[in-house]
Amino acid sequence: MISARVNSATVVGGALALFGATAIAASFGINPDPDGGWGARTFPLVGSGALLLLGLLEARKGLGAGAATTRQTTNSLPSVLALLLLSLAYVWVISKLGYLIGTGLAAPLALWLFSIRNPFGMVAAAIVCPAVYHAVFFIGLGVFPPLGEWFDLLDVIQGY
Amino acid sequence: MEIFAGLAAVLTDPILIFYVLLAAVVGMVVGAIPGLTASAAIAMLLPITFYMEPLAALAFLYVIGKSGRYGGSIAAILFNTPGTAASAATQLDGYPLSRRGLSSKAMKVATISSVIGDFTGEVLLIVGVGLIAAIALKLGPPELFAVYFAAFVVIGSVIGKSILKGLASAALGVLIQMIGLDPISSEERFTFGNFDLTNGISLVPLMIGIFVLGEVFAQLEVRGKKTEIVDEPGTADSRARNRLTWAEYKPCLPHVVRSSFIGAFIGMLPGLGSAIAAFVAYGEGKRRAKNPEEWGKGALEGVAAPEAANNAVSGPSMAPLLTLGIPGSTIGAILVGVFLIHGIQIGPTLFLTSKELVYSLFAAGLLGIVFYGLIGYYGASFVGRFILKIPTDVLYPVIFLTAFVAAYSSRGNLFDVYVMVAAGFGGWVMRKLDFNPAAFVISFVLAGGAEEAFRQSLLLSDDGALIFITRPVALGFILLGIGAVFFRARSLNR
Repeated sequence: MISARVNSATVVGGALALFGATAIAASFGINPDPDGGWGARTFPLVGSGALLLLGLLEARKGLGAGAATTRQTTNSLPSVLALLLLSLAYVWVISKLGYLIGTGLAAPLALWLFSIRNPFGMVAAAIVCPAVYHAVFFIGLGVFPPLGEWFDLLDVIQGY
Repeated sequence: MEIFAGLAAVLTDPILIFYVLLAAVVGMVVGAIPGLTASAAIAMLLPITFYMEPLAALAFLYVIGKSGRYGGSIAAILFNTPGTAASAATQLDGYPLSRRGLSSKAMKVATISSVIGDFTGEVLLIVGVGLIAAIALKLGPPELFAVYFAAFVVIGSVIGKSILKGLASAALGVLIQMIGLDPISSEERFTFGNFDLTNGISLVPLMIGIFVLGEVFAQLEVRGKKTEIVDEPGTADSRARNRLTWAEYKPCLPHVVRSSFIGAFIGMLPGLGSAIAAFVAYGEGKRRAKNPEEWGKGALEGVAAPEAANNAVSGPSMAPLLTLGIPGSTIGAILVGVFLIHGIQIGPTLFLTSKELVYSLFAAGLLGIVFYGLIGYYGASFVGRFILKIPTDVLYPVIFLTAFVAAYSSRGNLFDVYVMVAAGFGGWVMRKLDFNPAAFVISFVLAGGAEEAFRQSLLLSDDGALIFITRPVALGFILLGIGAVFFRARSLNR
């Protein structure tokens, strides 16, 4: 039965092979050297080809294994995806509203994901974390802060 | 003789001494926190070191790596959770000793053995690195490419459970490095019309993602799990019981000496690292022990052997990095970032252009060993109790926020933060699927140099790629790489 042969090695191998094949196609999009040599294409092609080959071998190993392996389930996947979503949203908010507001929002949410439910602690984190990181990195080390495209608290507090 | 000049430079600079001391403490604490590794701490602190003097930055991170390797033993002995993969072998005898109320004694043995191992490795590095660099200077591009090839294959195939997934991790690292402009022809590669990608993927956010954010993702799965301690090492009764005598340590010495050389040898080979050294030393120690039946049940020798080996890796693992530009470990890969940021070209010419810096770094390493040895011998129990007080449910959100600002600070670019997030999630997925994040990162670092050597070789050659076969040294390294895959496959099939 085909479904019995679909195990994690088959899926991972198939995904690697697909990635490798796509990378090979993209490698052919790289312009060759003016003299017609493959120069800039060579390494991307070798890397892509290796990935395609390794993916096919992994898939073959999976097919050869026959029965489906026990599926690895994890109860924490929703939490991990929530943290990924928070990470992406955090960067987006920084780009729109600046570092201080972005961190003020992300700090309590990160604590919440790690099962902290103390409201005082979460409010404190929303205030203390942006202030401390701003003081250390943007004032202490002199890194230029990421300014918000729409609004930035630094404009209101005059850069302090 | 250069090392004495290096020692003089380090010991007469109070700020440098302070950084080395701070690194010894930070590394020990981070290494002792289950889940956090020295690599994570170094990746996170890397952007801060951009604002330091090159020697201070390198010494700070190098000593964190050393001290972090040792710190893992504290968690292994006290909490039955190895702070680092390398200390998993220490756990086998360390935790049973802890259950018998001898945790402080086990930690003292771990400290002395780590110091001896680390010191041996560092001295071998100091003595041998100049010679390796002199030989490396004679290598041409074909030989250098063959060394890179062997490194890719060894790193990809030797570590981890699956050769295919290890090699695929290495191939992925190469492909990600190819993103951006071709360094020779400036042709765009894998940019898909995205302007941000034309600058390529930066090493620092990639590593912060893999080692720091990836670990935060992993810690979400074990949140709420309490760390427990079976032996309270601070009591008066415990102090009397845990006094370590010379008669108790003497049987450990042959194991420590042997393991130090095992660790130093394994350290020189790219990609193998501390964990393999510790387990090889443990296995060899047990095989030669007079009391093999006691190993695994709380033998002091079973703590001494892996600890000496895992710390002896530290110095020699710098040899391929400094002489060939090939990082032998993830910590080495991260240090590449520091060299690059400070405009220092690693490779054989480093010993011509920055000899003083290199030997001062080694001297700082020696000082770091002394610091973590003293702090560990007298304060490891305190560090253990301090770790118990750290609420991990608060620690990891703080690390999460620090990862973002650290990734941004490396180039002041929000795109790098997106790269860090992608690498973090990718690193977590890789670990879940038994891929090899270390091989991915090391290959990412190696790919640029390998491509340059490959293309230079073809320019030199009249017979195309045959140049790699007609040059004996190059052929030797290529066969070494192929042989490594063959033997690894055979050992897995047994």
